[in-house]
Amino acid sequence: MSKRAIDAVFQGLFLLTDIRVMLRETAPQHNLDESQQEKVRSLFDALEKEMAVLREELA
Amino acid sequence: MKCAGTIDVRDVDESSINIDPIQVGGRLTADAMKAMIAYGDGYSVCDQCRKPFRLDYIRTPPIDQFHRDLASFVNMDTARVVPGARRGFQAVADAFISAGDPVLITALSHYTEVLAIEGRGGVIREIPKNESNIITSDLAAQKIEEVTREFRHSPTLLFLDHFDYQYGNCHEVEGIIRIAHQYDVPVLYNGAYTVGIMPVDGKKIGADFVVGSGHKSMAAPAPSGMLATTSEWAGRVFRTTGVTTDVTGRTFGIKEIGMMGCTLMGVTLMGMMASFPHVRERVNCWERELANGQKVVDALMAIEGTVIKSEYPRNHTLTRVDTTGSFDRVAQVHKKRGFFFSSALKGKGIAGIIPGATKVWKFNTYGMTGSQAEYLAAAFRDIARENGLAVTD
Repeated sequence: MSKRAIDAVFQGLFLLTDIRVMLRETAPQHNLDESQQEKVRSLFDALEKEMAVLREELA
Repeated sequence: MKCAGTIDVRDVDESSINIDPIQVGGRLTADAMKAMIAYGDGYSVCDQCRKPFRLDYIRTPPIDQFHRDLASFVNMDTARVVPGARRGFQAVADAFISAGDPVLITALSHYTEVLAIEGRGGVIREIPKNESNIITSDLAAQKIEEVTREFRHSPTLLFLDHFDYQYGNCHEVEGIIRIAHQYDVPVLYNGAYTVGIMPVDGKKIGADFVVGSGHKSMAAPAPSGMLATTSEWAGRVFRTTGVTTDVTGRTFGIKEIGMMGCTLMGVTLMGMMASFPHVRERVNCWERELANGQKVVDALMAIEGTVIKSEYPRNHTLTRVDTTGSFDRVAQVHKKRGFFFSSALKGKGIAGIIPGATKVWKFNTYGMTGSQAEYLAAAFRDIARENGLAVTD
């Protein structure tokens, strides 16, 4: 069992959920203001880290 | 795009501003969506269920505490989660109503209250609304008197909606409950359009039962809701099983009859719980929600021939509007007929209006941001102008 991989899957899904909510908050035009853009960039960074864990653990 | 097989992805709220009158208060918070991911499997909350094997005793996740928090949230003594407000109505109806009993509702009551009473063989009597579509204390008093004369005893129960689903109007709940209690009539407060979006104090209102809807107003998946009551009535509505079966001699612990044992055993409850901290906070932002709604109502009122059918100024984000004299006039000559309106809204990224509706329709602005409210207001004005209707600036 890889607890790290399991956690990374959930964490990745949760980060994607935060991005999903951002789409909702900015519908229908999805013009993100500066602070939203900053937030979404940090979500992407965090998501990439979780992807790296998954690659390390499972690939 | 498909989720699975023939099932489309539902992205209404990602792609549009949704103004569906029944959907907006039930949209999930990010935390509820995360709980859905983790607790989607069937009986997912039962991993740590131990004696006495009842939902409201489970400590991990903290479902026991959530039940106490729910009761405190609406300032009542005891609460249970139920699969939708309607099951709360039904549980109370089952505990109180016998065949032939007179039961009061109002002229603006939700149909599920009617079904709950009908299921018990109760005799329904309606408190009429006044010319402004408000249920008043005076009309309630008159009706209680009338029913008491007709049946030679007072009504068994009164179902009372604080804000109704048709107009989103505010009714005189405190005054009506005070009068009902003078006749010893217990009152079920239907908070489907209040609990979870604005502050509700059950004891201050004087309610005997407070029912809320998870999927309508508490940012929770369907079907979910809550039923809260006072210590006076808890034993009756949450009565426990006492039966012993004849062949096997089985007994069933402290399962509650009215709840049919455990109620929400998985993702519905966890969604409700995950949203709850946000819901508890958001009820304090009701004024901001009303201000957003006002922007949209003002825009509609600026369109020649449009009439707001709900009480004005608005006390709720759900509003009924009559556009027979405006958008329906356009529909008469438009090549898309009545569908021009929903089609124009769709083109501007707005969803939730019944396609083809151009006469009387409802919308709800709850949960949108200030910019979304401004965008929506501008969209209504623009559609009017684009179709030759006069708009006051």
